[in-house]
Amino acid sequence: MDYKSKNLVAERKRRKKLGDRLLNLRALVPRITNMKKETIIEDAINYIQELQENVKFLTGKLQLLEVEPFSEEEANPKREETNTVEDMKKCGIQENVEVSYMSGNKVQIKIIFEKKRGKFTKLLEAITSRGFQLSDTSMTSSKGATLFSSFAEVTYDGTLAVEETRKSLLQIVRSMPQLCKKLDPGDCCLGGAKLGLSELNTYL
Amino acid sequence: MYEEPGCFEFDPNNSMAEGADSGFRRAVANSQKQFEENLKLSSEELCAMELELQKHMAFNVENCDNNTHMIQQVVDEPNQFHSFDHSNWNTGDIGFNQEDPQQNGHRSFNINSLPQTQDLLNLFHLPGSSLLPNSSISFANSNHDTTPLGFIGNLPASDSTSVLYDPLFHLNLPPEPPLFRELFQSIPQGYSLPTLRSGANSLFGDERDSSGVTAYQDGDGGMLEFTRDMACIVKGSETGKKKKPLTTERQRREHWTDKFTALRNLLPNPSKSDRASIVGDANEYINELLRTVNELKLLVEKKRCGRERSKRHKTEDDAAGDVENCNIRPLGDPEQSYNGSLRSSWLQRKSKDTEVDVRIIDDEVTIKLVQRKKIDCLLFVSKILDELQLDLHHVAGGHTGDYYSFLFNTKIYEGSSVYAGAIANKVIEVMDREYAAVPTTSSY
Repeated sequence: MDYKSKNLVAERKRRKKLGDRLLNLRALVPRITNMKKETIIEDAINYIQELQENVKFLTGKLQLLEVEPFSEEEANPKREETNTVEDMKKCGIQENVEVSYMSGNKVQIKIIFEKKRGKFTKLLEAITSRGFQLSDTSMTSSKGATLFSSFAEVTYDGTLAVEETRKSLLQIVRSMPQLCKKLDPGDCCLGGAKLGLSELNTYL
Repeated sequence: MYEEPGCFEFDPNNSMAEGADSGFRRAVANSQKQFEENLKLSSEELCAMELELQKHMAFNVENCDNNTHMIQQVVDEPNQFHSFDHSNWNTGDIGFNQEDPQQNGHRSFNINSLPQTQDLLNLFHLPGSSLLPNSSISFANSNHDTTPLGFIGNLPASDSTSVLYDPLFHLNLPPEPPLFRELFQSIPQGYSLPTLRSGANSLFGDERDSSGVTAYQDGDGGMLEFTRDMACIVKGSETGKKKKPLTTERQRREHWTDKFTALRNLLPNPSKSDRASIVGDANEYINELLRTVNELKLLVEKKRCGRERSKRHKTEDDAAGDVENCNIRPLGDPEQSYNGSLRSSWLQRKSKDTEVDVRIIDDEVTIKLVQRKKIDCLLFVSKILDELQLDLHHVAGGHTGDYYSFLFNTKIYEGSSVYAGAIANKVIEVMDREYAAVPTTSSY
């Protein structure tokens, strides 16, 4: 192919691509005034704005509904949480902390703890506040228990004592309260959350 | 009067034989007579005369079997050229050099060379100058390959026509017709000249197919419109109207690009800014908005009827009244209608360093997070999930190259009415905030 025809083919393909997508757009927009290319863009703009307004309206409505207190819902979480303790007992899972030395400043941490709302967050908070940096983290939960596994690296100088690390982590796990405070439903985020991070500290 | 063969100066042996029969000759002669009469006219009337001549020629030419097509082309051409500037220059064909009417007559009937295409092209030659840059405009298409107009200044390599140039040199033709050249040069490469005839003729048929003539990058109708605009230039006087079509066209293009920009500003994840991408993103966004609207509607109904239900449980007496409030449920039991419609939603949000993908099926939410150089994000996301009343069941995270990616499998706690958009927006917001707070460092 010589240069001219290559260009022509490419140009045709480009125009076709735009045309096809415009056709798709026209198919999506319910109200089209004209069949011209320019008006389809205008109509699409109007339709998108309409949809956005609709979303805003529905979100507001949902938020209004959220504000009203619903008292029956409060009973449910408690049911969930008592179940986890029982499940763990049934399967013989116990809270545990394991720390293994990898290399340098790296250790591998494995923690099994009871699954409760907000516990994972607190665990993470405690770990990072002690100067650990986590990598290759994974967490899974089953039978009312949570297994947390990660590599951790300490940044401070000095030898990393494996046993000490283990003990301190165990302490963290045991100090986490059994029942976390139920989150205020009004704080539920529907897009505009008023709950700041500082409020999470009310757990402790 | 001009019936002697002398007036057909370079009459090669074959020229007349090819197609121009005696009838044509007569026609030419007739026109020539008319020419003589009109020679004294001022240059402003040249155009009209040429038009007339054209009509005559065309009319008479139709009697000829061969080369009618060619002849029409030839006839068109003088009009084109003359219309640009009547006064300044003389073409070889119907030149009106008023100094020398006699030789005008001689010159004017190069048309007898019509049967040969190459001779056709001679009609436009202007001695000594290579008029045009290499334009792809071609004026002859029948027998020979299309030859660009640029040759006009060059002598065609035809033996039969070499004779043509000699007499013309004797005339004091201006060496270059500047206006003509300027005009051609002012037309961007590849734009075709219009014809004064209303219908598109074969000239344009050629032009449009050649790759050199892509007038616009958009709009298939653009080509036609532009040539119409050019026709305005030709038809009208050269003074005011020349600018007008260009301005309208530019305005139209700018208006068009403005609309694309406006569309782009509505989109949440604009990436490339070429038109096809914008429209593609708009399509996806419209689908996303429709999904969000459905999701929210479902949530609102669930919430409303859930409350109605709870009210009903508390006040048994008002049971009948409350059921009617949930008038959207045709069935008796509001709860059952939820199970029929499975909630599903999906959307993506991208910011500079973060990309989040949220999928919701029923009460399970899967969040995929990809970001750069931030290790503590696990903690922040976990906090967000607590805020949004999502129960984290499973997390897996990895580090590949520059990016950290996490997959969160969560379940929505009972009673929470979080929706996909909220999750995505919150995650992006927090991630961006944390990025801003921490200067980017690559070392741990």
